[in-house]
Amino acid sequence: MVEMIDLYKDYKVGKVLFPALRGISLKIEDGEFTAIAGPSGSGKTTLLNIIGCLDIPTKGDVLIDDTSITTLSTKEKAEFRKNELGFVFQTFNLIPVLTAYENVEMPLILVNMPAEEKKERVISILEEVGLEEFVHRKSNEMSGGQQQRVAIARALVKKPSMVLADEPTANLDSVNAKEILSLMKELNEKKKTTFIFSTHDQLVMEFAERIIYLRDGKIASDKKK
Amino acid sequence: MRVLNLAWRNVFRHRRRTIITAAAISVGLAVMIYMDTMMNGLDNLAAGNIINFETSHLEIFAKGYYREEGLFPLDTIIENPEFILQRIAKIKTIKGVTPRIKFQCRINNGIDELPVLGIGIDIEKESKVFETANTVVRGEYLKNPDDILIGKDLAKDMDLDVGSFLTIITRDRYGTYEAYDFTVSGLINTGHPLLDRNAALMHINIAQRLLSMYGITELCIKTRDDNKLVQLKNEIAGKIGKNFEVYTYKELNAGIFEISGMKRSGQFMLALVVVIIAAVGIINTMLMAVMERIPEIGMLKAMGFGNYNIVKMFIYEGGFIGIFGSLFGCFLGLLASFHLVYYGLDLSHMLENIDIIYPIKFIIKGEINYMIVLGVFIFGVVVSVIVTLWPVRKATKLEPVEALRHV
Repeated sequence: MVEMIDLYKDYKVGKVLFPALRGISLKIEDGEFTAIAGPSGSGKTTLLNIIGCLDIPTKGDVLIDDTSITTLSTKEKAEFRKNELGFVFQTFNLIPVLTAYENVEMPLILVNMPAEEKKERVISILEEVGLEEFVHRKSNEMSGGQQQRVAIARALVKKPSMVLADEPTANLDSVNAKEILSLMKELNEKKKTTFIFSTHDQLVMEFAERIIYLRDGKIASDKKK
Repeated sequence: MRVLNLAWRNVFRHRRRTIITAAAISVGLAVMIYMDTMMNGLDNLAAGNIINFETSHLEIFAKGYYREEGLFPLDTIIENPEFILQRIAKIKTIKGVTPRIKFQCRINNGIDELPVLGIGIDIEKESKVFETANTVVRGEYLKNPDDILIGKDLAKDMDLDVGSFLTIITRDRYGTYEAYDFTVSGLINTGHPLLDRNAALMHINIAQRLLSMYGITELCIKTRDDNKLVQLKNEIAGKIGKNFEVYTYKELNAGIFEISGMKRSGQFMLALVVVIIAAVGIINTMLMAVMERIPEIGMLKAMGFGNYNIVKMFIYEGGFIGIFGSLFGCFLGLLASFHLVYYGLDLSHMLENIDIIYPIKFIIKGEINYMIVLGVFIFGVVVSVIVTLWPVRKATKLEPVEALRHV
């Protein structure tokens, strides 16, 4: 479970302070399929980055399974991300010199895992995202939808408790976006992995079980379907 | 899939850039190897000429003679060489001993006159120590008492040939002018400029008669094992007493070997500049690699990659470029060096009329020092890795969130 307690985040540009989050408090239960929606500049990505230990709040706290992530050191945060979190980015961020298989294998480099088990896991997750025939293709040999599937497989291969997806459908056409969302929903139901999206795509909101709407760094609405 | 594998793939992201960067290292290292090969060859040729034609491995003088050697003082000579020969006769490492008399004189062909070094030799003993007899290119070695051997170049300068008459003019031990007529019996071409341009070789007894003396100026000693030269020197010095001095050919030609060291340093510095330029190229390449991969670095950090793994990745990349550049540099350097070893560098026309201090004249043949090649290879790789550290610092300082935001 993720719990945010009175989160504030200010960005300083020169001498001017820009408040990105202004007192966010909410709880996201394990296995939720949640979308954080809102217009540009509403604080969606900032909130996602703080949950993902990529950024620190100016004030407030984030508890993940009762552990305060704001007190963790840089190394502990890296360790936490390595073991517990998966990331899916708007621009896929695949490593272009690697094949789909190798990109998915990347997070496992950091984990001491027998080679056989590693191979089994990578092949299995690539099958689950429907890329068994694209194992040896590099990112420039795949469509945007296929690249995003690789990114999802990469996020899930280490079996994280939570996947954070920042605008995952922004660079996809509606057909691919729908397929990707169906896939994530399916994986969410099957693996009980928590999915948190930041988005302003209506389609994502249609798939989401819960939509937290942000405006000017505050929660404007929080609806569960 | 490991960090090493990822780094290997990254090196080939921009093949042309990698090739250009590695090529810059290659050129620097190839120059280093080629110069070392040339200097080794130069040193060997110089040392060979000194040993085979000028001083041999060791020379014994009467005490005080060497201090004034340039003046060829005839009052500090070895009056009784037999004494020394008896003392050193039982030293097994000595291959040969020959007496010589060196003196200043002028050579006159009836029209022109040139100052030369007169060398009186014992033709029987000389061949056990020096190679002069094997370098007669026209005519024959010394036979009759008034025969004289001169260098091919000197013959050309003085318009002399085999059978020509010439006069040697000098001052004897007491300062009186003496002259002696000789017939050129042969022309020598040793490759040592001193012998070929500025010397005249005659029978030792004729030289003694010219100089009104019975002794000799030096005893030249050839050893069987030149690795133990200093030991042999000390052994001889111990046996012959304090009235005599023994010097190795290196001591006698300290200036030449010092110049060699200076030339090596100068050439190494030049090659180092080339390597530094190449290193700047690596810094530039790695800086570009870091800059264009900032979002990727952010993604890796988001995945849990610590700075250790990020640094490792870039270090490997710099190392790979260094290995490519160094391998190719060594290959290029060795290729050029092999040409120098087997075909040599013909400087005979260039050095015909100029003095480069080095006692060489012919083709310079190189000698490859494989330890230096290995050292140069390691140097190339180490430099490549070290200079990578600076651009990598930038990658380590990146916060994942900033890196991911980077466009």
